[in-house]
Amino acid sequence: MWRVGVCYTLIVLLAFCVVSRVVYLQVFEGDDWRGRAQSISKKDITVYANRGDICAADGRLLASSIPYYELRMDFQAMGLTNDIFKKNVDSLAICLSRFFGDKSSSAYRRQLWDAKFHSTRNRYVLINQRKVNYNELKQIKTFPLFRLSSNKGGLICLQESKRVQPHINLASRTIGYLNKGNGNELIGKVGLEGLFENELKGIDGISMMQKMSGKWLPVNQADPKDGNDIITTIDVNFQDVAQSALLQQLQAYHADHGSAILMEVETGAIKAIANLGLDSETNKYEEIYNYAIGEATEPGSTFKLASIMALLEDGYVQPTDSIDTGNGIHRFYKDKMRDSHVGGYGMISVQEAFEKSSNVGISKLVNQHYKDKPRDFINRLSAFRLNKTLDLDIKGEGRPKIKYPGEEGWSGISLPWMSIGYEVQQTPLQTLCFYNAIANNGKMMKPIFVHEIKYHGKVLKHFDEEVLKNSLCSRETLRKVKSMLEGVVLRGTATNLRNSSYSIAGKTGTAQIADKNKGYGHKVYQASFAGYFPADAPKYSCVVVINSPDKKKGFYGNQVAGPVFKTIADKVYAMTYAMHPPKQDEQICEIKVPISLNGNKDDLDIVFKELNVSIDDREVYGDWVLTSRQDSIIKYKNRIINNHLVPNVKGMGIQDALYILENAGLKVKINGFGSVKKQSLNPGSNFRSGDLIYIELS
Amino acid sequence: MGRFISNFKLQGDKVIWIIIFLLSIISLLVVYSSTGTLAYKVKGGNTSYFFIKQLVLLLGCYFIIWVTHKIPYKHYSSWANMGLFIAIGMLLLAKIVGVNLNQASRWITIPGIGFNFQPSELAKLALILFVSRILSKFQTDRECQKEAFWKIIAAIGVVCGIIFLDDFSTSALLGGICLMLMFIGRIAAKYLLGTFGAGLGLIIILLIIAPFLPNSFGRIHTVRNRILNFAGIGEKKTDDGRNYQVDQAKIAVVSGGIIGKGPGNSDQRNFLPHPYSDFIYAIILEELGWFGGFGILALYLFLIYRAGSIVRKCDRTFPAFLVIGLSLSIVAQALTNMAVSVNLIPVTGQPLPLVSMGGTSLIFTSAALGMILSVSRSVKEQEELNHAED
Repeated sequence: MWRVGVCYTLIVLLAFCVVSRVVYLQVFEGDDWRGRAQSISKKDITVYANRGDICAADGRLLASSIPYYELRMDFQAMGLTNDIFKKNVDSLAICLSRFFGDKSSSAYRRQLWDAKFHSTRNRYVLINQRKVNYNELKQIKTFPLFRLSSNKGGLICLQESKRVQPHINLASRTIGYLNKGNGNELIGKVGLEGLFENELKGIDGISMMQKMSGKWLPVNQADPKDGNDIITTIDVNFQDVAQSALLQQLQAYHADHGSAILMEVETGAIKAIANLGLDSETNKYEEIYNYAIGEATEPGSTFKLASIMALLEDGYVQPTDSIDTGNGIHRFYKDKMRDSHVGGYGMISVQEAFEKSSNVGISKLVNQHYKDKPRDFINRLSAFRLNKTLDLDIKGEGRPKIKYPGEEGWSGISLPWMSIGYEVQQTPLQTLCFYNAIANNGKMMKPIFVHEIKYHGKVLKHFDEEVLKNSLCSRETLRKVKSMLEGVVLRGTATNLRNSSYSIAGKTGTAQIADKNKGYGHKVYQASFAGYFPADAPKYSCVVVINSPDKKKGFYGNQVAGPVFKTIADKVYAMTYAMHPPKQDEQICEIKVPISLNGNKDDLDIVFKELNVSIDDREVYGDWVLTSRQDSIIKYKNRIINNHLVPNVKGMGIQDALYILENAGLKVKINGFGSVKKQSLNPGSNFRSGDLIYIELS
Repeated sequence: MGRFISNFKLQGDKVIWIIIFLLSIISLLVVYSSTGTLAYKVKGGNTSYFFIKQLVLLLGCYFIIWVTHKIPYKHYSSWANMGLFIAIGMLLLAKIVGVNLNQASRWITIPGIGFNFQPSELAKLALILFVSRILSKFQTDRECQKEAFWKIIAAIGVVCGIIFLDDFSTSALLGGICLMLMFIGRIAAKYLLGTFGAGLGLIIILLIIAPFLPNSFGRIHTVRNRILNFAGIGEKKTDDGRNYQVDQAKIAVVSGGIIGKGPGNSDQRNFLPHPYSDFIYAIILEELGWFGGFGILALYLFLIYRAGSIVRKCDRTFPAFLVIGLSLSIVAQALTNMAVSVNLIPVTGQPLPLVSMGGTSLIFTSAALGMILSVSRSVKEQEELNHAED
C-alpha cells in the first residue's frame, strides 16, 4: 500500500501547488490583473454631437454639417461563422462591386476572403476608401451579410460629418473652417467656426458599453447635446455684392489681394466681409487669409482724417484757413514730401488740402503746430482710439501701430509722415471703425459678427452692440470733418463716386508700402477708400483696401478701391431703400394655417405641433413629405426620394433641400432665399455623382 | 443502512455519490453562466440552450453511473480486451474520417444523431481497464511478472502513439497514469524508469525537431508553441506580448478574490476562449472564489481518498487496480485543468471531469465513476455477507 501512498502524495502535492498558485496570483499579482480587468470589459464610446449651423442674419445657412460614413468590417464578429461567411461572400462581393464600381466582384471576393481567412489583422477592415452618405448607407445595409445585425454580419459604419458651406466661398474666411484636433475630431480653428467652437460643437455623449454574453451592450448612456447655431450679422446678399465687386476689381487690376467690409453704422454689425487673395498655384482669387482683420499696414491718406481732426480739436486751424502747398514738394530735413498732383496746388484752404489729399498741406500743418509738442498729437490719436486693437473675439487681429516720441524709430520726420498715414499701421477694420464713428456722430462701435446664439430655434444669447468710445471729438469738429469727407466726393479726389440719387462721404488712400513678401526695399501700392453713405443720414460704412495693383493699370485709391466702394454702396442702397417690401402683417393674420414648406416629416411634425396645427398623415410612410393646406389642417403626402434620380426638392426649405441633394451626391449651388422655386436638373432625371445643381429660392 | 440504499437502487459509497451530486450542481451553475457567449454565437442568444443540454446530459450521466455500478466488476475485467480493440479501432477511424476540429482529428461524428464522439475518452477507460487486468493477472506474491510489463507497454504504445500526435496532453496524462498504475502494480522500478525516460526522450526529440516537420504532422507545432509561450519565449499573441488566454484566465482568477463575484457574475467568460470547458476552473474561481475553487479541489481529493478506502477493503487485485487507476485518472485530469487555468502549466485542453461541458468526457467519466461504485458496491456486499456469517 505504500506505493498508493506515494501516488496520493504526488496528487496532494499538485493540489497544494494549485492552491498556492491561486493565492500567489491574488496576493502578489492582484493589482496588476485587476487593473487590466477594468480596461477590457468596459469601454466608452463617444456619441458625437451634431455641430451647430452658422447662419446669415436672415437665417440662411452659411455652414452646416452633413453626415458621412466610413465602412469597415469585423471579420471576427461573434456571429460571423465560417458557414455564414462562405454562404454570403459571393453575393456580397457582387453587390460591393456594383455599388462602388471600382473593382470586379472577383477582386472583392478575394479581398473579403483573404481578410477572413489569411489575415491576422481581420478586425475593422476597411471595405472601401470612399465614404458613403446616409442614403447610400441605407442601401448598403440591404446587402447580403450586411443586412444581418452587426454582430453577425460584421458591418461597422463609423459616422463622420462633413462641414459644407452651401454658399460656396461666401465669406468663407470669416466663417472659418475645421481642422483636425489632437484626437481625430474636427475642431473649428479659424474665423467664426473657431471663435464659437465651444458653442457650435455641442456636448458629445458617452455610451458606456459592457461586454455581456458576447455582445457589447450599452449600460449607461449620456446623450449627446447638439451644438448651438450661430446667427451671424452677415447679410448674404450684401456679402455677395461685396465679394463680386471686389473680385472684379482685383481681376481688372491684377492686384495681389484685397478686402472689403460693410458695417452698419448704428450697431457696428458687420454685414459683409470679403477677403480675396491671389492663389499663386491656381492663379485664382480665393479667401486665403482674413486680410480685413489680420493685416495691419500703413494706411496712407485715409489717415489724414485723424490728423485734420486733431488740428481741429486743438483749435489750431479752421477749414477756411489757408496753407501754402507751393509747387507740391516740401523738404523736411533731408526728405522730400511730394504731392501726387505734379506742380502743386499753390495756396489753398485747409478744407481743400484735405479734399484734394495734399500731402504737403496736411504734413506742413501738423508739423507746424505739433513740432514742439509731438506728444499732444500722439495723445490726440490715442484719444481717437487708433492705438488700440478692437478687442475682437475672432483671433488674429492685427495690432495697430502708433509711435510715441522717444520710442525707437521716432525721428524728426516722423510727425509729418505720420500725419499722412505713414510710419503708422492700421488694419482695414480698424480704419473702418474710425470712419464709422464719424458717421455715428462720434460714437465708436465695436464690430460685431454674431447676433444670436440659438439652440433648436430658441435664442440662448443675444449679442448687444458695444460702444468702444462714446465720443471721439466735439460736435463742432464732427460737423467740419463730415463736410470735408463729403467734399472729397463732391470736389476732391473721389469725384468718380459722385451720383445723383444719394451722397457718399469718404476719403481715398494711396500708399506705397513694403511688400510683405519681398521686404522693405520693394514697395507696392495700396489703394483704399473708406467712407459711409448716405452722407446726410449714414446707414452703412464701408472700407475697401486693394493691395499691389498693377502699376501700369492704375494705383490711386479713387481709381482702384473707389469703384468697389461705389458698387457696394449702390447695390446696398438700392436693396435697403428702393426695394423695401411693403408690410404684410394684416394679411398674415387672416390665415389660420401657415403655408408650409415641404420637407422632412419629423421636422414638420415638430413645427406644426408647436403651432397647434392638426396634421393629416394617414397616407404617409416615408421621411419626406409634401404638404398641402386643407381648411384648417395640413395634409401630408409622400414625396418619393429616389437615390438614383434627381430628387424633387421644390417647395422645400434650404436645409432639407440641401440635405437631400448633398446626400444624393449632387453639388449644390444656391441663389436667393426662402423655399426652393426652381432646380436646374429636372426631378426624376439621371445624374452622376458630383454633378452640379443650381437651386433658386424665393 | 445498505438496505436503505438498495431500496433506492443507488448502491456503493455514499460519499462518492454526494461528491458526484455536488460536482454536477456546480457544473450546471458554471456552464449556464459561461455559455452566454457561445449561445450568442451559435444559438442566436438562446442562453438556456446549453443549460438544458447540460442538464439532460447530467441526467444521462446519472443513468450511466447507475447502470455501470449495477454491473458486477468481474464483467469489466472480461470486457477489457475487447474494449481496448474497439477503442484502438475507433482511434484509427477518427484519424481517417474524423472531424477536424482545431486541426486535430480527434472526433468522430456518430451518424444519425450528429453527436461528436471523442474516441480517446473511450481509449482512456479501456486502457486503464486493460492495464488493471493484466497487472492483476500476472501478479505474484512478491512482484509482477515481466510478461505483464511488455503486454502493457505494447498497449500503451499503440494507444498513446495514436493519440499523441493529435492530443499530446491526453496522451501524456494517460501514459503517466498507466506508469503510476504499474508502479502500484509492483512492476520492477528499472522498467518503469526506462519507460519514463524513453517516453520523455521521445517527446523532447519531437519538440526539438518540430519546426522541421511538415504541417500534416499533427499538432506538434501547437504543442511546441504553447510550451514556448509558457516559458515566455514563444510567438507573441497579444499586443503587449503576452498570451491572451493565459492573461484572461489570470484576470478571472484574481478578480474572483476570496468570496468570488457570485454565480452568474463572471466578466471573464466573455473574453476567455472555452470558458465552459478548458478554462472552466478560472470561471469557478472568479464566480465562487476560494470556497468554490478550493471546495471543488477538495471534492476531487476526497474522491481519491474514498477510492483509497475502497481499495483497502478489496481482497482482490483487479478491483483495487481498477479503482486506483480510474480515480487517479479523473483526479489527475481535474488537476491538469486547474493547473492550466491558474497558469501552472502550458495551455492544454483537458476538461474538468463531470463539470466541464462536453458530452464524451462526461459519459466516460460517469462510466469510470460507475465502475468505482460497482467495486464499492461489491465490497460492501462482501462486508455485509462477512458480517452475516459472523
